[in-house]
Amino acid sequence: MIEIQNVTKAYRTDTIETIALHNMNLSVPSGEFLSIMGPSGCGKSTLLNIMGLIDEPTEGTVSLAGKPITGYNGKQIARFRNEQLGFIFQSFHLINDLSVVDNVELPLLYRKVGGKERRRLALEALAHVGLSNRATHFPNQLSGGQKQRVAIARAIVGRPNIILADEPTGNLDSHMGDEIMDILLKLNAELGTTIVMVTHDERMAKKTHRLVRLSDGERVS
Amino acid sequence: MFKNYLLLSLKVLKRKPFYTFISLFGISFTLMILMLLTSLFDATLGDNQPLTHRDRLVIVPMLERTRTETDTIMKIDTLATSYDTTYTYEDDIVSTSNGPMSYKFVTENLTKLEEAEHYAFWNDGYHQDGYLDGRKFSFGAYYVNAGYWDVFDFKFLHGSRLNEQDDEGANKVVVITDKAAKTYFGEATASVIGQEMQLGAETFRVRGIVARPLSDSPMFAGDVFFPITRVDQREIDSDDVSGGFGAAFLTSTSGRREALKNELTFLGDNYDMSGVEFYDKMRLFNATFYEGYARGILQEEDGSKALRLLFIPVVLLILLFVALPLLNLVNLNISRVYERKAEIGVRKAFGANGSDILYQFIFENLVLTFIGGVIGVLLAIALISYVNTNDLLGITRLSYSYEVFFYFLVVIVLFGFLSGILPAYRMSRTNVADSLR
Repeated sequence: MIEIQNVTKAYRTDTIETIALHNMNLSVPSGEFLSIMGPSGCGKSTLLNIMGLIDEPTEGTVSLAGKPITGYNGKQIARFRNEQLGFIFQSFHLINDLSVVDNVELPLLYRKVGGKERRRLALEALAHVGLSNRATHFPNQLSGGQKQRVAIARAIVGRPNIILADEPTGNLDSHMGDEIMDILLKLNAELGTTIVMVTHDERMAKKTHRLVRLSDGERVS
Repeated sequence: MFKNYLLLSLKVLKRKPFYTFISLFGISFTLMILMLLTSLFDATLGDNQPLTHRDRLVIVPMLERTRTETDTIMKIDTLATSYDTTYTYEDDIVSTSNGPMSYKFVTENLTKLEEAEHYAFWNDGYHQDGYLDGRKFSFGAYYVNAGYWDVFDFKFLHGSRLNEQDDEGANKVVVITDKAAKTYFGEATASVIGQEMQLGAETFRVRGIVARPLSDSPMFAGDVFFPITRVDQREIDSDDVSGGFGAAFLTSTSGRREALKNELTFLGDNYDMSGVEFYDKMRLFNATFYEGYARGILQEEDGSKALRLLFIPVVLLILLFVALPLLNLVNLNISRVYERKAEIGVRKAFGANGSDILYQFIFENLVLTFIGGVIGVLLAIALISYVNTNDLLGITRLSYSYEVFFYFLVVIVLFGFLSGILPAYRMSRTNVADSLR
């Protein structure tokens, strides 16, 4: 369950104040697959970052799993992200110096999980996205679709309740985009993972449970 | 976790070979120079034989004789109404002579000092040629008293020291360095003890072989050590106070050195100069080991002043030498870490907190400096052995003791830590959303 209440996000410089989100309210129940659409610069990614606790609202509150995230220190937020959240980015953000399986292990590094167990869980996650045979490859040896699948494996390896995906199909052709979408839908259906996805693709958005549209930092539907 | 960090560090280093080369070059070169300096410092001023007791040592390298004449200066006060003159009398130094002391001076005046426990006298003014099977070798000759071996605890490889009986009997025995033994006999083994060496016109029996000291000091830079009484007879018979002898003493504790120095100063200042030709005042230079060293470098007569003068520039120079490459490395690290902004963002998004990032980058930097350090050590060892083999620093030979390695390890860790902490700290505080943009 994600609860966004009266959230405003403003970016300030010395001379200009830009409102990225204005008085936003949004509630995402557990198990929902929600998509967010809107033109560029309307605040989609900002909203997603605030939900993912990687950016702070200027005003308003964010509650995750029934807990309002206020007064948490950096370490507590880091732990919360680690245990509850998984991220998928448009540009994958894999670490090119690490092998596929090492990339997938990443969230587990910041938990007290032993090396063997980490490896087992990472391979399991890779199997889930159909990339078991690429475990020892490096990201630059993979296609875009494969990279995004590795990113999904990384996002699910720690069994988070919520996955936040920022245009996961944006850099992929439609065939690969469909593949990724299928994996996300399967995740949502089989594991009950809550997924919030920002997308430009109407076709993808239609496959999700609900669609929220933003414009100029405000909800329009 | 560390395995992961280590693997990543090595991969990152491999990914940018040129950057890695520049960094490693800077680190290894700096550390090599530092190691050489430490080694030189250790060889010269360290706790090495024969200067193990250097904290109780007081050296009298020379005395100074001066001749003063009383001058009469007349001043006329032209403003005074009546014609008036004032006379003042001032001592004016007209002549000074510095130099080592005579045999008589040291044996008659410097053997009854209250604060001295051991007395060393030596004459290093001669070279002695050694002959064997039609070959000729040139050796630095030292004529030393029995107490010399108490003050300077040479490392005896074989045989034993010279003693009082050798001094009294002017025995034809010598102690030689291992280098001299190898030069003359081709080996520095126990079998050399008791063998004869033809030195000058006479034959001497080898009593002992000592390890050649690491450092170059006029107190013990010899190859062959004779009993003091084997010195040229004219040195022994001379009635002059100046001659060819230096002196050094050991006090019972390091705290007594000042008292001995005062005693020596008093002795010089109050020396009866009636028997000394031309000169009418005497000063006995005396210095602790470090003062003597600083005095030698700065040519400053006052040893403790010389030590103070030398200390600050040397420390500043070393700090500067370390600070420059350190700043350079910090700079390189900042750009290196910035390139990995996205990676830091991803790590943070997936649960790394600020300190995880901080540790990771400090660890990576330690890996880099460690590799640089190992290269630096190898270079330094190669250079040290080259310097030693070819005697590039004269008698001084550089060492790589455990102490040097220990200091070195400390320097590596400090270097890695200091050059990594600032960039790592900055990155650990990066906003995740900004890093991933």
